[in-house]
Amino acid sequence: MKLSRDGWAGLAVLAASLVLFALTLGLKPSPLVPIGPGFYPRLVLGLAAVLAAALVILDFLKTKKPEPLPRVNYAAVVLHFAVFAAYVVALPWVGFRIATVVYIAAANALLEPPKNARGWLRVALLALIAGAVVYFAFEHYLTVLLPRGRWTDF
Amino acid sequence: MYELLGEAVANIVQLKYLVPLFLGTLAGVIGGALPGVTITMTIIVVLPFTFGLDPLQGLAAMTGVYVGGSAGGLVTAVLLGIPGTPSAIATTFDGHPMAKKGEPGRALWLGIWASFFGGLLGAIFLIGATGPLASIALEFGPWEFFSLFVLALSMVAGLVEASLLKGLIAGALGLIVTVLGADPVMGQERLTLGIPFIKGGIDFLPVLIGVFAFAQVMGEIERPGSEVAKSLGYAKSLAVSHAKVVWEILSRPFQLLWVAFIGLLIGVLPAIGGSAASMMAYDQAKKFSRRPERFGSGIPEGIIASEASNNANVGGSLVTIMAFGIPGDAVTAVMLGALTIHGIQSGPLFISQHPKIAYGIFAAYLLAHPLMVLILAVGARWMLRIVSVPKAALFPIVLVLCVVGAYALNNTMGNVYVLLAFGVLGYLMVKFGFPLAPFILGVILGDQIEINLVRSIMTDANLWLFVTRPISGLLLAASVVSLVAAMWQHRRTQKKIDAAVEADF
Repeated sequence: MKLSRDGWAGLAVLAASLVLFALTLGLKPSPLVPIGPGFYPRLVLGLAAVLAAALVILDFLKTKKPEPLPRVNYAAVVLHFAVFAAYVVALPWVGFRIATVVYIAAANALLEPPKNARGWLRVALLALIAGAVVYFAFEHYLTVLLPRGRWTDF
Repeated sequence: MYELLGEAVANIVQLKYLVPLFLGTLAGVIGGALPGVTITMTIIVVLPFTFGLDPLQGLAAMTGVYVGGSAGGLVTAVLLGIPGTPSAIATTFDGHPMAKKGEPGRALWLGIWASFFGGLLGAIFLIGATGPLASIALEFGPWEFFSLFVLALSMVAGLVEASLLKGLIAGALGLIVTVLGADPVMGQERLTLGIPFIKGGIDFLPVLIGVFAFAQVMGEIERPGSEVAKSLGYAKSLAVSHAKVVWEILSRPFQLLWVAFIGLLIGVLPAIGGSAASMMAYDQAKKFSRRPERFGSGIPEGIIASEASNNANVGGSLVTIMAFGIPGDAVTAVMLGALTIHGIQSGPLFISQHPKIAYGIFAAYLLAHPLMVLILAVGARWMLRIVSVPKAALFPIVLVLCVVGAYALNNTMGNVYVLLAFGVLGYLMVKFGFPLAPFILGVILGDQIEINLVRSIMTDANLWLFVTRPISGLLLAASVVSLVAAMWQHRRTQKKIDAAVEADF
């Protein structure tokens, strides 16, 4: 019998809970707190493992076919997560100002690809203006020091 | 109490507080009106702007977002038939048909004034109930707090629409997040998985921002195409006799009080939210109506029920956070985070230790309502232009503000990495059908559950005390009852669905 998405999700939670539970066994007891730092995590992880196992078993026993999921554009989601991850990785290296302008331009162009030079100009302007407004609002008016780039010092 | 409230109102009308309150309300109204942008997302975007402000300025802005957002959703719901927020879904049922029949002004203003009166009834409850409830909570020991938090989690897990088991697993996952990094009692390092930036534990705000912002933005990205660019194809004038509209609402006092009560009740229960409040209130208004068959055709009762209840709901949510430190929904969870940033602990001692801030929130909540009416009076028509902002331009900026919000918590990239990791997890949870509300509540309450459990065991190792102490025992019994009721409810719904499928077949 094949597992549905519930079964796979249950297996993932079960595996993660058991691995973390095993790690708690290595925690040293504290002289001040008799039950130790591992007591509560073991309780929570044990509970999560039992619930996840129940989800897997119920899914395994389920006789009804799961309803088909609506068709969605997962490629776009993966691409946007990748672009955002690249932005997060780039932040400490190139700095907030450069990374943010490039990220806004890239994400905007991916969501609504420009069809001509005017479209590209709009993308560039939005990125520059939004990046500048966010930077000035936070650094100059709200005194939040945004990341500087290790490579660019900017 | 009234003296403190009077002082707080006099304080909040100073420009120093009035400006953030006004801007927050404006942001809330716009965010609420934008389909695909919830109040939660709006408050997440506003959060980093409050870091540089004093605590009351920041909380005034957030209260404004909450009140404005609860009303803003009705603009597009009435005029375009697209609810700006989930809490305005029920408003579309009668609001849009009334607008299409040539009375857009009446429909809109019925909604705005119903929001106003519902919100004020919520304010009366908020101001009157927070203090007494906090005094009751002051009598609690660690056993009672532990049981109260367990009750909150079990209720949320049971009340979500997904399966009970998945709700419980989501809550447990939230609790797991809090056991990573450091033990909250002794600060001993544990389960860091070799990741340096979680050594001190994981802040709940980047988790909350990541989970909600990405689940929503990616949920929109995966289904391209938007209905927002619709234009008004009917009467363009929103002019109306306000006295007549107000009378239409106030001439139904029983309905107004009943739907506001439903909104408050749903608000007090953790993590159910304004959408459930407005749907339940709409359903109740229909059941009590002498003309139930006309609901959905554009009658005032439907609009009043939905809008009065979702604004009263805000008052209820604020009560639980201010009296018990338990967020009623994601918006109050962000407010809780804002309090923590300023070193303020919410909970039963909050109102006695920080009366200026507590009464300041009451005053901000009261004043946000006339501001909301003013903003909508001036800008309802403009709002329709704003909601046509392309999402391709909006979403990258929203995510940049999420990064700023996470980074600015303590000026480290660690929180931005947490934001990304939980953004992915939040999206996957939604895709696999796990509800986010119990997960977030688990993340927020996890440390408190552990601290109170350890404290109670250190005070007395007898575990039976959790059951034999009357309030604690009652709260634990209520948790069991709520889980059993949820199981029964889920089973009943499933049977109905199965019967319907068989009938269709």
